[in-house]
Amino acid sequence: MKTLSKTIGLRLLRLTLLALLGGFLCATLVRFAPGYGVDEREVDPRLSHESVQQIRNENRINSNLIAYYGRYLDGAVHGDFGKSQWLQQPVSTLIKERFGITARSVLLGVFLAWVFAFGLSLASIFFQSFALDFSGTLFSGFLIALPTAVVAIVTVYLRAPVFAAIAVVTFPKLFRYLRNLFAHALEQPYILAARARGIGTARIIFGHVLRLCAPALFALLGISLSLAFGAAIPIEALCDSPGIGQLAWQAALNRDLPLITNLTLLVTLITVASNSLANVKQEAPL
Amino acid sequence: MSAVKLLRLASIAILIAVFGVSLLASQFIPYSYATQFREAPNASPSANHPLGTDPLGRDLFTRLLYGTRVSLFLAPAAALVATLIAGIFGAFAGLYGGWPQRIILAAADLSMALPLLFVLLTLRALLPLDISPALSISCTFLLLGLLGWASSLRVVWASARNLRESDFLLMARATGCSSTRTVFKHVLPNLRPVLFAQFWISIPVFILAEATLSMLGLGVMEPLPSWGNLLRGLEDLPAVSANPWRLAPLFAVCLVVICFHMILSAQEDAA
Repeated sequence: MKTLSKTIGLRLLRLTLLALLGGFLCATLVRFAPGYGVDEREVDPRLSHESVQQIRNENRINSNLIAYYGRYLDGAVHGDFGKSQWLQQPVSTLIKERFGITARSVLLGVFLAWVFAFGLSLASIFFQSFALDFSGTLFSGFLIALPTAVVAIVTVYLRAPVFAAIAVVTFPKLFRYLRNLFAHALEQPYILAARARGIGTARIIFGHVLRLCAPALFALLGISLSLAFGAAIPIEALCDSPGIGQLAWQAALNRDLPLITNLTLLVTLITVASNSLANVKQEAPL
Repeated sequence: MSAVKLLRLASIAILIAVFGVSLLASQFIPYSYATQFREAPNASPSANHPLGTDPLGRDLFTRLLYGTRVSLFLAPAAALVATLIAGIFGAFAGLYGGWPQRIILAAADLSMALPLLFVLLTLRALLPLDISPALSISCTFLLLGLLGWASSLRVVWASARNLRESDFLLMARATGCSSTRTVFKHVLPNLRPVLFAQFWISIPVFILAEATLSMLGLGVMEPLPSWGNLLRGLEDLPAVSANPWRLAPLFAVCLVVICFHMILSAQEDAA
């Protein structure tokens, strides 16, 4: 119990350090981006010389990286991640509006991919069927060769939901890994001995194989979330789904660095948190 | 000859053929990839245009061959950059251990946690959208190479760590072998298969990443063709249904990526 709480504590500390480091990188990127500190209001003929000077002074205060990061961090603690240069709205509002859509698509997509990959790989092991194994390998081999953006276009054409496209992109990677994992587990000497003693296939799989593979399965769960978030960008962009993937793409096209760096930081933290959760579960006694 | 070996040989032959044809494109294609036939936009396949023309009247076959050249030569270049970074830092961390190992592994973990496409978009957003096509190619593949090293590093590090504990390295050290000689004479030859496998694994990943980036308008810029920006033609699905030969770039991408995977699977089975 003490070891588990220590592990959780260490993971939380790592997550906090990562957030601080990631925040610093975000702030540095924004601060040193070309065009930083250039304000369109400076060329507005309606503003007086004093007003223009005041705008310049405000920008000058923000030019020191450490001070800029300090203010960014202070704002982030209070839920203020700055303002989108392109949409002229607070980044936190934009993320709040769109995060739910992406989270739903990603979770449903990952769930669907897991159901198919797990079911197919387990069935090919369970039934020892060459046809099932071959067709699964062929199908996943074809899907893995498709660029994510092409999957998105086909999804639009078929009028399928966004989560289906995420599932199609995630499935082949999961299937290949799970199939190899289960096949490797079946070759373990004690499982071979259990089979030699006539223990049923179902009992071997559910009692031994899955138990042996559980830590790797938890780790894979974290990785599949990261894969799905990565796939969300082209899929949401091309399927016109108003999630954070589409927002990131539009931010990149409009060179809106405050927005895209914060989105990257958010997705990284989610990925690291899910990986850490999977690792904590992996280290905990089953 | 086993079926696996046969598949591997067939895949290698296909890759060599695709590489060869794209390399010799300028020898037997009379047009440039940017030449426009304004009198024949969206033309069907003919003797002059084997795959027809695009909406701007450019020969699709020529663009496909030049696009193949761009994608097939620069993806390995990006893979080489990624493998070199992974090889140098992974071997260093594995052989010397201690705090450099902790820092390098932490950097790799952090890099692996970053969703590649989000980071690529962020870094690409730092560059102007109207950069020259040549610069867009260099930036796209350089970014892929500089960001895609983390998973390879983990593998190289694990192999180097095993080598550090091996008897032959212990013996080399005991007989007074210098660090430089140990690295070049004993470590590198033993890491070569791992580095080669990682290089090979990275190529299809980078081909697909470039395709997706270019389809989103953030990769290789027009008029220079790459598989990614040729695939943008697929967005017009009714036109693709009417002219199925426009699927040729998709066929080329899938064929090459499947061939790379076949070779990798055959290598895994052989190992």
